[in-house]
Amino acid sequence: MAEQFKLVLKNADSPGYTPDMECYLKHGGYQALRKALATAPRDLPDGKKLSPQEVIRDDVKASGLRGRGGAGFSAGLKWSFVDRRSGKPIYLICNADESEPGTFKDRQILHKDPHQLIEGMVISCWANDVKLAYIYIRGEMPHGARILNQALREARAKGFLGKNILGVGYDLEIHVHRGAGAYICGEETGLIESLEGKRAYPRIKPPYFPAVLGLYMCPTIVNNVETLAAVKHIVEMGPVNYAKLGTPNNTGTRLVSLSGDVQKPGYFEIEVGKVTLGQLINDANFGGGLKPGRTLKAVIPGGSSSKVLKAGEVFKLKRKGADGQMTTVDVPLLDLPYDFDSLQAAGSMSGSGAIIVLDDSRSMVETLANLSEFYAHESCGQCTPCREGALWLAKGTHRLSHGEGRKVDAEYLLHIAQNIQGRTICAFGEAAAWPVLSFVKKFREEFEAHGAAAEAARKNSTSAGTHQH
Amino acid sequence: MPTLILNGQRRECPEGLTILTACRSLGIEVPTLCHDERLAPTGGCRLCGVEIEGWNHHPSACNTVVHDGMVIRTHTTAVEQQRRTLLQLLADGYPADAVTAAPDKEFHRWLIHYQITPRGRLATDVDPAHSQPPFRDTTHPYLRADFAQCIACQRCVRICDEVQGRFVWRAWNRGDATRIRPGNSPILLASDCVSCGACVDTCPTGALEDQSIHHKGRPTAWTQTTCPYCGTGCEMSVGTRAGQIVQVLPVRSAAVSRGHLCVKGRYAFDYNHAPDRVTEPMIRDALGWRKVSWDDAVAFVAHRLGEIVRTSGPDNVGVLGSARGTNEENYVAQKFARVVLGTNNVDACARVCHAPSAAALNSQLGTGAATNSFADIEHARAFLLCGTNPTENHPIVGARILQAVQRGARLIVIDPREIELARSATVHLAVRPGTNVLLLNALAHVIVEEALYDVPTVEHRVAGWSVFREFIRAFTPESVAEVCGVPAEAIRRAARIYATEAPAMGFHGLGLTEHAQGTEGVMCLVNLALLTGNLGRAGAGVNPLRGQNNVQGSAHMGCEPDHLTGYTPLEFGRAQFEAIWQAPIPHQRGLNLMQMMDAAAAGQLQALWAIGYDIALTQPNTSATRAALARLKLVIVQDLFLTELAREFGHVFLPACSSFEKDGTFMNSERRVQRVRAALPPAGRSKSDWEIISAVATAMGSQSAFAYSSAEAIWNEIRALWPAGAGISYARLESGGLQWPCPTENHPGTPILHVDRFAHGQRAPLQCISHRASHEVVSTEFPFLLTTGRTLYGFNAGTMTGRTPNRQLRRTDTLDMAPVDAERLSWREGERIRVQSRHGAAVLPLRIDPRMRAGDLFATFHTVEAALNQLTSPYQDPLTRTPEYKRVAVRLIRETALESERAPADGVR
Repeated sequence: MAEQFKLVLKNADSPGYTPDMECYLKHGGYQALRKALATAPRDLPDGKKLSPQEVIRDDVKASGLRGRGGAGFSAGLKWSFVDRRSGKPIYLICNADESEPGTFKDRQILHKDPHQLIEGMVISCWANDVKLAYIYIRGEMPHGARILNQALREARAKGFLGKNILGVGYDLEIHVHRGAGAYICGEETGLIESLEGKRAYPRIKPPYFPAVLGLYMCPTIVNNVETLAAVKHIVEMGPVNYAKLGTPNNTGTRLVSLSGDVQKPGYFEIEVGKVTLGQLINDANFGGGLKPGRTLKAVIPGGSSSKVLKAGEVFKLKRKGADGQMTTVDVPLLDLPYDFDSLQAAGSMSGSGAIIVLDDSRSMVETLANLSEFYAHESCGQCTPCREGALWLAKGTHRLSHGEGRKVDAEYLLHIAQNIQGRTICAFGEAAAWPVLSFVKKFREEFEAHGAAAEAARKNSTSAGTHQH
Repeated sequence: MPTLILNGQRRECPEGLTILTACRSLGIEVPTLCHDERLAPTGGCRLCGVEIEGWNHHPSACNTVVHDGMVIRTHTTAVEQQRRTLLQLLADGYPADAVTAAPDKEFHRWLIHYQITPRGRLATDVDPAHSQPPFRDTTHPYLRADFAQCIACQRCVRICDEVQGRFVWRAWNRGDATRIRPGNSPILLASDCVSCGACVDTCPTGALEDQSIHHKGRPTAWTQTTCPYCGTGCEMSVGTRAGQIVQVLPVRSAAVSRGHLCVKGRYAFDYNHAPDRVTEPMIRDALGWRKVSWDDAVAFVAHRLGEIVRTSGPDNVGVLGSARGTNEENYVAQKFARVVLGTNNVDACARVCHAPSAAALNSQLGTGAATNSFADIEHARAFLLCGTNPTENHPIVGARILQAVQRGARLIVIDPREIELARSATVHLAVRPGTNVLLLNALAHVIVEEALYDVPTVEHRVAGWSVFREFIRAFTPESVAEVCGVPAEAIRRAARIYATEAPAMGFHGLGLTEHAQGTEGVMCLVNLALLTGNLGRAGAGVNPLRGQNNVQGSAHMGCEPDHLTGYTPLEFGRAQFEAIWQAPIPHQRGLNLMQMMDAAAAGQLQALWAIGYDIALTQPNTSATRAALARLKLVIVQDLFLTELAREFGHVFLPACSSFEKDGTFMNSERRVQRVRAALPPAGRSKSDWEIISAVATAMGSQSAFAYSSAEAIWNEIRALWPAGAGISYARLESGGLQWPCPTENHPGTPILHVDRFAHGQRAPLQCISHRASHEVVSTEFPFLLTTGRTLYGFNAGTMTGRTPNRQLRRTDTLDMAPVDAERLSWREGERIRVQSRHGAAVLPLRIDPRMRAGDLFATFHTVEAALNQLTSPYQDPLTRTPEYKRVAVRLIRETALESERAPADGVR
């Protein structure tokens, strides 16, 4: 039976574990920071010498850590893009604007084990010559902000933060900034604008790559809460041991938020790729299976913006055989390992690690209408296709779900969604379009049936004067 | 240089361009809506999406940078279909009639191009959740908003932020419910809007439009010319229709203004068509003003002037050139005085403003003009502003400085008031009026004491270092802090910033020059630049901001009693000028404007010819001025309007053209000569100043020397006499202005002076300037210190702005007082206050202004009613005779109380 692997959440849920400094220290807290600050320079085989900071950066790269916020981009590589020659200060921002529907994993760290995040941040800041960092926490999480501020005060009092950290002459300040109540504030350039006190309008790339022109037009690193917490463990265990967790190219552990039509919704920590979607849904250690008498209809595997996967789908995945040869194998939906690459190969993504399970009681039309309404509401309004298109998608799905649609609406929704994706400043365009594209393509008959039924109903009651759209 | 395959053709383009810029430079038009080259790209409208081989989406051309080998297709079926879809999305709900009403608007052009008809907003479109109506505002005299036509491109929001720095427009709500409205007020008039019109200029739909278009219709002809207001030298396109100006737009390619204008340049043009514009020559007799023919007017002037010259001598006549006139006209005016009349009594209004700057810069550095260019603003790491309020008086310069500061440049503001830029300043030194020399010396003291000076400059380019070092020892910040009203620590901070944030650029205005120590004040500023090496390099310098469009030019063309054209000293240029003029130049030193007034008062000046200059209103100490003017036997007024000078003292009125009605050149603050072009024929029978003067010269017997065929012919004569301007031909000016020195026709002009050496030699002297206290002292009898100045919506005596809707934006002159003083006196805003100085009195409505410091007052002089100069003193800078407008001790009496005979009177001691 598949099991959880608790690394980041090792202590958080232990009975009696509290978010204060004393408890954290009792559980070995801030030892990783001490270890990091004592890192020795490293000589490379080619004769080059790495400074202690470069050693940590190198280790993070070697650990294979991939961003836990959504895109799954290599954290070490992201750090390596930072412009270190600009003469400008480098900023680090912890993205704690957790707001992808279905995602509730960062708050476990923030609420229950804040010092773990802070320790990971101080190490990351030190490794990147950052003197000022921010935690941008979702506005709707005021309790988390209070906990973080308390933890920061404790860290300052203990000399883990502030001037001359642990006597090594390194200064760092971290501020908590509460978000402005919009989904788009979680998009990294929107977040930066918001942190600067402006509307969270995402910035166009080029030129505004955060690593070069980020906060206050200075080089900036934006990392997710879980990513920064993982840095602490990479330092503690060493990159080689960390990389042994999980599967190749999908290393370490990952927090998964499981919701929807399962018996035991909740959050779990797993080794990346060591547990399948089916195990997450059905095993007693995880979701505990569907509700009695229900069958699986679909899975949204990586937060609401990821493409839906249909029950019974079989995917072609490339696998490395024992002989080292790459072969293509058929993998049914429930046998998909929950990792970055497998989900991508299945045409979706593991995104923020949020799995939403839909059983046969669910109407795909209503579910999509719900999602589309969310994206129409959250579109920032900067780009024409998204601003206008997201509303059209919401209107189209609304009328289908309210018995006012047409059969051609399925095609109409696809047309609009195709005109949004790839045509916006930020990835919100995709986030709004992908659910529509996948829902309608995979459940086309259901959408067309809704439209056709509505058309038939209207035909029967034309005398009642139902207005046409 | 990257090579591209652009629509199948191999093209080369410079490194670093965006695809859009590259396409435009190669003549390929890619549609855009949210793009404006004045703004940073945001990539929101997506209309400029293009296909790039190997890319899986259509990137926006406005921000994507070209790379070598890129294969770009701008008009494939797919991208064209994408554009059509986008336009359809935008056209849905867009008012259908807007397109036919203004088919030239950017958005409408694309709708027509892609054959998309707006559907118009239907009742079913109105979603209760998104029901906030679009913003509409027709109350502003210049701007008109109807956001039913808004396509949310945000160009108005961005241009207000990124160019003007006012942050008036704001996007409310999000997604499809996005509404653009002013951020802090229900209408523009009550918002922070400074009426620059940039948002109107950039709007691609007509959601924002000029009121004049609604009232008068669209222009039918356009003329590019230079702004008639301040000395910044903005270029503008003047749109005319049926003989009237109906719209003014900024010129995108303009060197200085770069596609921006302020409210005065863009909107305050109605004076040109004011009902009281005088367009007929007039002579005053016992019955009053009487219209006459030009022949009669010219004959009258020639006869009377000739008579006075014959009977009393040429030095009984004075001529005043005009800062509003062109270089050519000022040249002709001074030539007339010297050649026809035979006197050096010729001056212009530079006397009362920046003569100290010219004198100080000339004596210390060898050239009496700004050392650097406005383009240097983007290179400066720090600014030192002294006695200048650029966001109101040189708004385009002010906006550029503000943008630089918002990008991180440091800013030191020396000004008694908390002017707009002071709010963005790193250090604001709220100096007591009249103590500039002390404060600037204290800055120099810190730079010397803390060894922050630039050693190479001090060693190689400065004279008098050791003497200066000893001299400055006494000026500790602590010793001047109290007199200057500035904390010592703030002085030290400012000095450190100016000395260490190199390059640091200095701008100064009349708050430095219109003092009894005006010239010496500028010298103290030059000292600072010399000490810190802030001369001869980009982003540095000492730069006077000239108050009027051609005040630099009027003096430089020779309207100066002891200088000929090109600021050439009289005796130095005599031989050359006499050769070209074929006439002797008088040896007798001329009288400057202040001396002319003194001579008139003493009966030693009998005639005055004032060209575009209302000295009755603008000279200090009105009662003395009026007494002097009343003694003149002949006052010739050449102007657009019956000014106060004409009304009270004029004998003959010669109607002049406005700068919209003539050709010529202006010279801006940074030595840039730019073309003035006639957008309209002369109003009525008005004539160019040079035509009028030439006619009088001819009537007085100097035919050949004044037989000019055009402004260009005059300019070519100027070039022959002025070596530094010899290379500036009208032909070259067709493609933008040129900065002198520009000695030859292939010389590019000189943006920065003193790069390797100073005009007079290798080393420039540091000047040891001691402080002299003003005669205007605060006492128990006169407890307040008054300074005078201009505001955004007013311009000098209000001759122009007072005849435009600017009067609605600022209705009256005011007396500005600190809230703490008003509180102490229990006076309310709007009460009429009699302001009494030792020299006179004026009555002004009170305005309570939190920018004022207790004990200081500020008042404007834009209206005839206020006649503020009744208060100002006879004291002058002894070096240039520039009046001390900026410091008058006054007492205040509440008029309202006097009128109602309340006792005791609210006299304030």
